This record gives sequence, C-alpha cells and structure tokens, in this order.
Amino acid sequence: MRAFEYFTATDSKHAVALLAEHAPARVLAGGTDLLADLKSSPSHAPKTVVDISRAADMRGIEVNARGLCIGALVTHSEIMASTVIRDLFPALADAAHTIGAVQTRNLGTLGGNLVTAVPSVDSGPTLVALDAQVTIAGPAGHRTMPLSEFFVAPRRTALKPDELLVEIVIPAENLGKPAHFLKMGLRKGQALALVNAASSLRIDAKKNTCKDVRIALGAVAPTVVRAKTAEKFLEGRAATAENFAEAGRLAVADAKPISDMRASADYRKDLVAVLAKRTLEAACAQSKAAKQKGARK
Amino acid sequence: MTKKAKPARTAKAKSAGIGQPVEMSGTLRLPAVVKQVPFPIEALSPKVRQQTPAVGQRATRPDGRLHGLGQTKYIDDMAFPGMLYCKIKRAGIASALIKKIDTREAEAMPGVMAVITGKDIPVNSFGPSIKDQPVLADDRVFHAGDGVAAVAAVTEQIALEALDKIKVEYEPLTPIFDPVEAMKDSAPKVHPPVSNIYATKLIKKGDVEKGFRESYKIFEATYSTQMVEHVPLEPHCSIASWDANGRLTIHSTLGRITLGRTDMARTLQLPLSRVRMVATIVGGNFGGKNEITQEPALAVLSKKTGRPVKGTFTRTEEFIATTTRHPIIMNYKTGVSKDGRILARKVRLVLDGGAYCSWSETTLGKACILSPGPYNIENVHSEAFVVYTNKTMTGAMRGFGAPQVCFAYESQMDEIACELGIDPLEIRLRNAFHEGSSSPTGQVLHSVVVKDSLLQAAERYGWKEAR
Amino acid sequence: MTDVTLKINGETRSAAVPPETTLLKMLRESFSLTGAKLGCDVGDCGACTVIVDGLPVNSCLMLAGQADGREVLTIEGLATPDHLHPIQKTFEDCASLQCGFCGPGVIMSSKALLDANPNPSVAEIRDALAGNLCRCTGYTKMIEAVQQAAQVMRSAKSKRAA
Repeated sequence: MRAFEYFTATDSKHAVALLAEHAPARVLAGGTDLLADLKSSPSHAPKTVVDISRAADMRGIEVNARGLCIGALVTHSEIMASTVIRDLFPALADAAHTIGAVQTRNLGTLGGNLVTAVPSVDSGPTLVALDAQVTIAGPAGHRTMPLSEFFVAPRRTALKPDELLVEIVIPAENLGKPAHFLKMGLRKGQALALVNAASSLRIDAKKNTCKDVRIALGAVAPTVVRAKTAEKFLEGRAATAENFAEAGRLAVADAKPISDMRASADYRKDLVAVLAKRTLEAACAQSKAAKQKGARK
Repeated sequence: MTKKAKPARTAKAKSAGIGQPVEMSGTLRLPAVVKQVPFPIEALSPKVRQQTPAVGQRATRPDGRLHGLGQTKYIDDMAFPGMLYCKIKRAGIASALIKKIDTREAEAMPGVMAVITGKDIPVNSFGPSIKDQPVLADDRVFHAGDGVAAVAAVTEQIALEALDKIKVEYEPLTPIFDPVEAMKDSAPKVHPPVSNIYATKLIKKGDVEKGFRESYKIFEATYSTQMVEHVPLEPHCSIASWDANGRLTIHSTLGRITLGRTDMARTLQLPLSRVRMVATIVGGNFGGKNEITQEPALAVLSKKTGRPVKGTFTRTEEFIATTTRHPIIMNYKTGVSKDGRILARKVRLVLDGGAYCSWSETTLGKACILSPGPYNIENVHSEAFVVYTNKTMTGAMRGFGAPQVCFAYESQMDEIACELGIDPLEIRLRNAFHEGSSSPTGQVLHSVVVKDSLLQAAERYGWKEAR
Repeated sequence: MTDVTLKINGETRSAAVPPETTLLKMLRESFSLTGAKLGCDVGDCGACTVIVDGLPVNSCLMLAGQADGREVLTIEGLATPDHLHPIQKTFEDCASLQCGFCGPGVIMSSKALLDANPNPSVAEIRDALAGNLCRCTGYTKMIEAVQQAAQVMRSAKSKRAA
C-alpha cells in the first residue's frame, strides 16, 4: 500500500466533516474491499483514509416505525446472527452467508458491500426485491433513495464524494414479506456470483394468486436489475409451478449478461431462468408455511 | 498527524519482577516445551532381506509440532540486521524493445539505497537447460511479467513508491500468444532469430498407418488444457548477503538449491565456492520453486549497498513472474478394433512454453512418452513441440506434462467406449498394461498393477451397482 | 504515525506505525509475532487469520489503527510452556499440517469455531474453514483434527463441570 493519512471518525457526523475537510478521501469501513483495492492498484491510492469503523451511530439492527433499519456498519456475520433478521427475512441472512468466508464476513459490512457496487453484489438482490431504501448523510443533512437507484454503474453509486451511506431500511409495509435468495458460484466458499437472484411476493390465500411480485437479479447487468417483465406476468396469476417456470423464462429478457472467464452469457441466462423460478417457488412456500403457522396459533 | 478516536482501553500490564512468580497461563513467552514424540526411526528400519515394516505404520511428522505452534521459521519470518527490501518493476507489456530506463528520480528518494537494471547483472541470462531468461530484461521484454528494474530500500513501502518513479520507454512489438500460430514461419519471433519451436520430440513404434488401415473405427479429437499456477501459500522469497571476504550467502525458499547455486555463480561470474545457498523451510513448492528468479538481482543490490537484501514476491508476481503449468493442445487419432482394442494411436502435442524454456524440455519428453496412455498399443506415433509465446513462462509442475495427456487419452477412452457401447471400465481392462508390457519407448514394465487398481477402485466405488 | 495500544495474547502492547500498516505487518514486524503469515495479502488465503475480540479476521485486511484498544489472539497465544492447545495437539496427531504455512491460520479459524460451537458438524467445519486455503495437506485431515479437538475440549469441559 502507498502511504496515506488516516483519520478516525467517532460518528457519522464527524465522518462527513472529515470527508469534507480532507477531500478527496476514501472511506474505510470493514476494509475488505478498500484495502484489497489499495494494495492491488497503486493508482487508486488516496491521500487520506477516513476510518468510520468506530462510528457507533452506524451500527445496530432495529425494527421501528420506518421498518427494519440496518446500520451501514453492520457486518455480514452480524446479519447472519441477528434473530430479528432471521425471523423477518431469512433471505438476508442467507445472502450474507454467501459472501466471502468467515474472516471477511466478520470484517465486511453491509454498507461497504453496497457501496462497492460490483454487479454481483450479493446483498443487493434481496434488498432490492424488498424495496429497500438507503439513507445518505452529507454536509446538507440526510437524504433517502431507493436502493435500486443507488446503484448507478459497476463500482459506481449515487454517493457524492463527501457523502456517506449510513443506513439501509426495509419499509414497514414489507416486514415479514416472504423472500428468497439464491446464488450460483463456481465454488461454495469465497466465490463471486455467476448469477444471484432474489424474489419476494405475497400469496392471496383464498385465490392462491401472486401479488407484489419482485424479482431482482445480480451479475447479469451493470447493476442489480429487476425482472419487470416476469414480475408483471406473475402479478395476479395463480401460484403454480408452471407460472413460476414461465416467470423464470421471462426473467431472462431483463438480463443482459456478459461472457467472461467465469461463465458464458448463455450459461448465465440459463441460470437466471432456474434461479428466478426457484426463488419464486421458495418465497411462495415460505408464505404458505407462515400462514399455516399463523393458523395454528 | 493522526488523530486518535478514543483512548485505548489500557489493561494493567502484569509486573514480573525478579524473584516474583510469573503468571504464565494464557500468555506465551517461550515455545511450548512439551516432549516431542520421537520419530520411530528404529522401528521402521528394515532388517536384511526384510520388507520394510514402515508401510502401514503411523508416524508423527517430526515438524508438525512447530508448524502447529506457529514457531516454524519460513524465510519471510527472518530478518537480518540492516536488511533492505527489494521490489521489482514489472514491464506490464508483452513484447517490446526497451529504449530507455530512467531511474534517477527513484534513486534520489530518501530511503532508496540502490536501483539496478539488467545492465548491472554480470551475466544476464539463466535457465535450467536453455539460458534464455534474463534476470532483469535489459533491451527486450519477452512477457508482461518481466522485471525491468529492481529497487532496494529501507522499507518495503519506500521500495514500492520508488517503482512508480522509474520511467521506462518502450517500443512495442507485435506479441504472439497462440502457440499454434507461433509455430508458423510468418509468426513474430519471441527470441529472434531463434525459431519459436525450441524443442521437439518424436516417438515411433510399429506402423500407425497400417494400424489405422486395419482399424474398425477411427476416432479423432483435440483436447486442450489451461495454464495453471502452483499457488504455494508461501510466496517466493530470498535474502542475499555478502560477508567481508566477498562470499555470497543466499537464504531462499527454493527447492533445488544446488542448481540455484550454479545459476548464481554463472550470473554473477563468481567461483562456485564463493556462493552459499541456505534452503529454508518451504511453504509449498509443487515444482514452482525449482529455479532462481530474483536472486541475482538481490545479490547485486546487496553488494551495491553492503547490506542484506530481502525480496518477497506479491501474490500477483507469483502469477505473472514465476513458472506455471504448460497448457497443451493435444490432437489424438486412435484406431480401434470392434471389441475396443486400440490398434494405433497418433498424437500431436503443442506445448505453450511461454516466454522462456525453464523445464519445458523435461515436460515435453514426459508428456510425449506418456501420451499414448498406460495401454498396450502396437502402433504409436507421438510428436510433441514446445513453443515460445509472449506469456508467463511455463515450467515444472507436479507430473511434468503427465496430467495434461492423461486428461486427453482418458477423455478419448470414454468417447470410444460410448461409441462402441463398451463399459468404460471394461475397455480400459482390455487395453491396460500388464506384467511385462512394453511402453511406447520399449521399456519393459514390471510390478504393473493398473488392472488391479482399476478393479479395486471400481469395487470400492460400487461401479457395477452405479451403472 | 498512528499510535496503537492493544492487548495481544493477554499482554498490553503499544507501537507507533505508519497509518498504512496492516495489523498483520504490525504483529510480524513490530511485535515479532511471525505465526500469522502473509500469503495473498488480499483476504483470500486466510494464512493471516487472527482472532480480534473473539472473531477470526484476516489481519491483512485490517489496519493496525483499527485494532487500537482491541484484544488480539494469535497462534503464539494458544499454547503454554507446558501444554499445547487441544487443536494444536490433534493437528499434530492427525498429521494435518504438511508444509505448515497455512497452519496457524487454520488453527485460529478452528479455535474461533470451537469457542462458539463445541460440537460442529462436518458441514459447519467446512464453512468455518472456507476462508483458509491449503495446497499441500488437503482439508480432510484438518476436518478430522477439528472433530477430534472438539471431542477433547468437550470432555475436558464436562470433567471440569463434574
């Protein structure tokens, strides 16, 4: 690593002030992406690194009137261990489990994963499928936006140089909405996704039809994308295996994968169809299981 | 310069004055002194005319204890007083003429003790067989991982920053990456005026054309394998130091230090007796640490500065600047009888040698000899070529070419079995070497257990049941 | 320079290092604790694994400054002069370390696993060791050793309880 100056922020406000004071600076949260980048690309060496890993107000997982709020500094391990998250959105814990390995999950943060914004970002699809919002702190205060708009391009987000992602919020109306995440990598551990996908939906118990369908795909476009054609198709339709399979086939239309050393575009398209179908089926099963559980109570 | 976030939690340091009992639990001051289970050498020594009783015995690894304690000292765990750190500037261009290297700005940096280029190496070429590899490329770059300059500085950090200050002017040349293309006369030469095909081998047995004429069916296919890096967990690392009498000592993680010693003597124009190589514990080799890489540069830097110089490769350098496994393009033409007996096999191998020969000749020979597979074949024609390309050099790696050809002939065996409707195990049993079989080169084979091991494997796997 | 004060293997230590120094570099160069190794320097191989505040992390991906005020356990802190840690013992018994370069990292990951989960399944052990690469020994013997160590540690615990 090339030399840099190092400042530690005590909270998000302090961090924003430090970013403004020492621009252009880079933000250190978990460090798993930043340090690897600084070591491999000397040209990326910043003059200043602002360490936000001790910003206490950016930690914590809580449910409040706004919904499920996850601090940007919550690590992947903390997400996996959180009973709140495992109760409400097991898919989020599943997605966290597919990131890196134990050591990197203990360091790496949800916020960092989203800000790095690689196309295969594993925490992206589930959050997008649950209509997550992000809270951004800047010199002028806070602003919020949908996560789907936060991703701009590979490794580019809507963050300005003096801004900080502080919180991720899954809106209150989606609390407990059935969702499922799947990832296909070349290995089980420490793999980049060839394709990852998440779906969320609600099932109308009487009619057995789907509503509020969301399908989000990763690693098949410059950013996480919604498979809107497939979503539209399923909306109001019966929750059957045939319809889920058809939705999977339609999801391919919204995927624009590339061929690279890991997989060909065609293979990725096939994966999209399979993963979209399976996540829909699993989310549907979750919905039914929840209803049975509710009925027994 | 740096702000501290909050005062650190200060734990009370334990006082351990003279005469006071020292509380040791949970802390480590000394390596554990638990008695080591002795390696049962006596129990394992065979008596006269007796089969060694070692087989089947469980022995404790003599080095396991220190490994588990984290006390094993690999070379990167060593430091000598006054030691400097070396970093090497990599070309980053596959083929080019070097017009100019300006090291002045780097040399002027505080903490930089010396900068050298290829011109500073007394004999700037080495290699286990063909001496075609420069220690530091001086007038021509042969692949992107070539070093063009080396820096010794008081810290690794400064050495790294100095690399950015070295300016190299290149005149790019047309590189060649495809080994089959590189065989053509019209292809750009990697080491002009030498041909890109730098070694060949031909093995002939019987008459393949006759064998093909007599065959019931002929199968033709091309197989190819990719480049593989050894990825030892421990990167290449060496420390060079000179004593006052002009003797050079190299501490190194290399596997073949005797060969390394001759290379050092040759590149530095020193009598062999002036070079001492000390092999340190190796953190993985697999054939990738079989020859010197940066060591002559470290020695020259050490001589220039009068201080020990350590060079540790980054993981990136492991991939771009050390040897790898040969990718091979393998054409197989095989004639078989109706009952699946191989009557003739013609093989053509093109080995991608990368920029330098390294252990290519050995690999070429072994790949060629083993290419027909462990099968009784009367008529064999196997030819192999190893070709220069402007890529990372390929060299020794476990098996020396055997795994690649195994992939090809076993793949084809399956295709033949499938086409003829013969069980894949059965077709191998029909063709496999037996006691007294002779190899394609005429070697008569003894203790041949191919069939036994195949049958045993099939039984343990449950081959019949699975089919 | 960044001032760092932290607890390493139970002892309070301090160092002043350049800000870009990683925890790994500080451990190895400022404190001569060379058990944690530099293998890839980007968090893939796990040879640098140490336990920080109870959690295994890649010390190559943590700045020394981030470790200020924390508790760090390295491979050197497991054994006492009289006793190997049970994991070190079973790794030796099962011949789980060949070249040994990955060993300290693997053992630290195993230690963190067994502290949190005294009776892990093979799948859980694999998951816990997914961030530790080995090129010589392979993982089978390591998993065996972790299982055996778990057994030893459980029976020691139940003996203490009784």
